[in-house]
Amino acid sequence: MDRPTTPSRPPLRSVLLRSRKHTVLGVDPQHLIRWFFGGNASIAVIVLVLIMIFLLREGIDFLPTYRHELQTYRRAGLEFCDIIDQPLQQNQTLSSSLRQAISASLETLSKSARDRRDAAFLLKRQIEDKTTRTSESLSQALEKTPPLPPAELAKLRSEVQKAAAAASASLTYPDLFSAAEREQLQREFAALTPEVTDLPPLLQTLAADFTAKDREARTKFASLVQAQEEFEAATEPLQAVVDELKQHAQETKENAVEFEVLETNRLRLLEAAAKEKDPDEKASLIKEASASFTEAVNLAERIQAITSRATELREQVEKYAQVIEKAAAVLPTDAGTGVARTMVNDVREGIPVHAQAMRKAAAQLDSWRWDKPVSIFTVIGAFFFGTSWITNSSWQDFFGFVPLLSGSLVIAFIAILIATPVSVVAAIYTNQFASEREKELIKPVIEFIQAIPSVVLGFIGISLVGNLIKDVSEWSWLQWVPGFPIQERLNMFNAGCLLAFMAVPTMFSLSEDALNNVPRAYIDASDALGATKLQTVFRVIVPAGISGILSAILLGLGRVIGETMVVLLVAGNRIAIPDFSAGPGAIFQPAHTLTGIIAQELGEVSRGSSHWQALFMVGIVLFAISLLVNWCARAVARRFEPHKA
Amino acid sequence: MKTAILTLVTTFAAALSLQAQTTLRIRGSDTLGAKLVPQLAEAFKKQGGKVSFDIAAEGSSTAFTNLASGTAEIGMSSRKVKADERTLCRSKGVSLTEFEVAWDMITVVVNKNNPISDLSKKQLLQVFAGDIKDWSEVGGTPGPISVYTRNTSSGTYKDFMGLAMKGREYGTNSQKMAGNEQIASEVGSNPNGIGYVGYAYAGAKGIKIVSIGGSAPSPAAVKSYPLSRPTFLYTNGAPTGTTKAFIDFCLSTAGNAIIGKAGFVPLSIAK
Repeated sequence: MDRPTTPSRPPLRSVLLRSRKHTVLGVDPQHLIRWFFGGNASIAVIVLVLIMIFLLREGIDFLPTYRHELQTYRRAGLEFCDIIDQPLQQNQTLSSSLRQAISASLETLSKSARDRRDAAFLLKRQIEDKTTRTSESLSQALEKTPPLPPAELAKLRSEVQKAAAAASASLTYPDLFSAAEREQLQREFAALTPEVTDLPPLLQTLAADFTAKDREARTKFASLVQAQEEFEAATEPLQAVVDELKQHAQETKENAVEFEVLETNRLRLLEAAAKEKDPDEKASLIKEASASFTEAVNLAERIQAITSRATELREQVEKYAQVIEKAAAVLPTDAGTGVARTMVNDVREGIPVHAQAMRKAAAQLDSWRWDKPVSIFTVIGAFFFGTSWITNSSWQDFFGFVPLLSGSLVIAFIAILIATPVSVVAAIYTNQFASEREKELIKPVIEFIQAIPSVVLGFIGISLVGNLIKDVSEWSWLQWVPGFPIQERLNMFNAGCLLAFMAVPTMFSLSEDALNNVPRAYIDASDALGATKLQTVFRVIVPAGISGILSAILLGLGRVIGETMVVLLVAGNRIAIPDFSAGPGAIFQPAHTLTGIIAQELGEVSRGSSHWQALFMVGIVLFAISLLVNWCARAVARRFEPHKA
Repeated sequence: MKTAILTLVTTFAAALSLQAQTTLRIRGSDTLGAKLVPQLAEAFKKQGGKVSFDIAAEGSSTAFTNLASGTAEIGMSSRKVKADERTLCRSKGVSLTEFEVAWDMITVVVNKNNPISDLSKKQLLQVFAGDIKDWSEVGGTPGPISVYTRNTSSGTYKDFMGLAMKGREYGTNSQKMAGNEQIASEVGSNPNGIGYVGYAYAGAKGIKIVSIGGSAPSPAAVKSYPLSRPTFLYTNGAPTGTTKAFIDFCLSTAGNAIIGKAGFVPLSIAK
C-alpha cells in the first residue's frame, strides 16, 4: 500500500528544540519523568531497608531480654533443680523400655486371649455404631416424662432389635473365633439394646480369660515385673526432694517476676505523674503508683534454702545410683521374646551409664553459683545451639533454634532433591527436544503451578498426599523402604513433596532460560564436529548452561525455605530435632519449621515480650538465610558464566 | 494457621438501614469461639438484638492481648486470666471483669480401633509427658504412641498441663495442632494416636473417648470428672449496653439451653 507523503511534518531538529522550551515550574519534564522512574526503583530499595530496620529493631532486644530471663532462671534456683532433674528423666526412658519388654514377654502367653478379647470388643463397637440412630431414639424415649405409651416403646424396641440383628449379620467375624463362638457372638450382638448395661456373656468370658492368662504370665515373669517396679520406685525419694526444691524455686521466680512488672509499672506511672499538669490527675497517678508496690524479693536469702540442701541432694543421688546399679545386676536374663531380651539387655547396659550421669550431675552442684552472671555469649549459644524450644511453660521458657532449623533444612533438602531432577530434565526436554506445539503446552502448564495458592496445596497435603503416602507405606512389598510403614501422615516427606511441586515452576523457567542463553555458536560447532543430538545436549549445552541451572536450583531453595503455609499445615508441628538414628526413615517424622513457628505463634504473644522478640529473631535469621541463598545464586551465575562467543 | 474468623452478620438490609448498628468484637479461645459463642450470638440476634458480631478464635491468650489493646469488647477464655496478663491489662488501663459461662470437660480421645478404653491419671500424665512411649506399656496393641496437643496459645493446652500433668511439660514427641478439629481428624486417622479435645468435639468420626481412672466425661458427672474446667468471658470493666445484654443472655435459661446443646455443661448443672 502506498502512503501519501506528509510534507507538512516539521523537521526533526525543530521538534527537539521546541520540546526544550516547555518547563513545569522551571523543571524540564524529561527530568521529571526520569525522577519518577528512578523514584519507583528506589522505593523498592527503601522498603527493603525499612523491613531490615524493623526486623532488627524488634529482634535485637531479644538477646538482652533472654539474658535477663536466663539470669532469673539461675538466680531463682531453677537451674540448680534442673541439674538433677534433667538427667533424672532418663529413668523414665529406661523404665519405658522395661515396661515394653514386660509387655512383650507377657504377650507370649496372653496374646491370643487378648486378641480375642479386643476383636470381640471391636465388633461390639461396630454394632453400636451401626445402631446409634435407633438406640439413641429409644433411650431418649425412655427418659421422657411422662413416659411414652407402651405400644410406642415396643415399636422402638423392635426397631432397635431389627437394626442390631441386621448389623450383627452383616459383620465379618475374624478367624480368631471358632464357628460356635461366631454364632454365639452374632446371637449376643443381635440382642444388644441400650437398656441392658451388662456385657454379653461371651464377652465377659473373653475378658475373664484374658485376665487369667495375664495373671499367669505375670507370675511366670514375676522377677522382671518386680525389677521394673523397683527401678521405677527408686526415683521416688530423690524426686520428692527435687520437687520440693523446684516448688521453692518456682515461687521465688514468680515473686521476682511480679516485682519487676509492678516496679516498671510504678516507675512509668510516676514518670507520667511528674509530667502531668492537672493536680487531680497527678494525685490519682501517684496513688495508682503506690498501689503498684511490692516488697523486693531477697534472692540471696531464698536461694540459701535451696543450696543448703545440696548435701542432702547429693546423698540422695548417691543412694539412688546404688539402688539402680543393684537393680541392674539382678535384672533377669529370661525375657519372653528376642525383642524383649534385647530391650532388657539395653536397659542393663543403660543403667550404669545413667547412674554415672547422675553422679556427675551431683558433682556439678558444688561449683554452681547462683550469682554468676550470664554472659552474652552463653545467651547467643543458648539461642543458636539450644536444642529445645519450649514456650508458654509453667517452669521456664527456652528459645533454642536448632529443632526449627533442622526441620526447615531437612524439608528443604527433600524438596530440592525431588524438584531438581524433575525441573531440570523437563527444562532440557522442552528446550532441546520438544516440538513447538509441545513447548506451547508444557511451558504454560508448568508456569500455571505457580498460580495455585499455597494454602490450597496445604489442604491437598493433609487430605490427599498424606493418606496416599500412608496407604503406600502399608503395602507389604514395600516394607524394605526405611521408615515404612509410616506412623504420621503429616510429616517432613509430605511437606517436602508439596514444596518440591511449588519449586518446580521457578526452577524450570530459570533452567530453561539458562539453556536458551547458551551461545548458538557452541551448538553449531558441536554439530559441525558430527556430534549426535544427545552428545550435543549433554557434552555442550548442559555444561555451558550449568551456572544458570545451579542458580535456578539455589533460587528454588530460597523459595522452599521461605514457604510457610504448606509446612505449617503439613509438616506435623513437632518441636524436636528429628531422630536421625532412625536412618533415612527419619524423613517420615513430623517436624516444625522456622517459618511455621512464626506463623503459629506470633499472633498470640504479647508485643514486646521475650517470646515476641524470639520470633523476630527467628525472622532475622530466616531473612539472612534467604539473602545468603540469593547471593550464592548470583555468585554461582557469575562464576561459571560461559565466555561470550 | 486455622484462622476461624466468622463475621456473622453484615446483611445488606442492615447495611442500608439508617440506624447505626453496634458491632461486638469477640476474641479468644478456640474451644469457645469455634462453636458455642457463634451459636449464642446467632440466637441473641434472633431474639431481636440489633447488633453484628465479629468473632475470631485463635486461642485464649489472644483474648487478653486484644482486650488490652482495645480491639475487642469481649474476650473468651478457657482458663482463668494469668497474673501477668492481668498486670498487662492494668498497665494499659483495662480492668478485667470475669464471667463464668459454662463448664467444659477436656476429653481424652484415641483412635476408634484402639482397644484401650481407660487410662489411670498417672498413665495419662506419663503418656503426655513422653514417659510412656509405646501402647504396650498400658496394655494396648504394641506400637509407638503419637501424642497430639493443642498449640501453645491455647487455654486447653495450659489447662491440661495443670489438670492432668501436675505442671510437667509435654514430651518433645508431642505434635502441636491448630485446633480441636485437627486433633480429632489426626487421631481418627492414626491408629496409634492420642489427643485431647473439648467435650463438644468428642463425637467426631474415627475417635473414641477414654475414661480417666474409670471416670468418663458426661454432663451429669462434670463435678467428678478429673479434667473439668470452667470457661470464662472477660470484659473491660463492668459491661454496659449491648455487651451487658449479650452476657446476660449467655447466662439466661435460653443461653443455658444452647450451651447444653453445644456440648458444654451449663452452670445450672455444674453448680
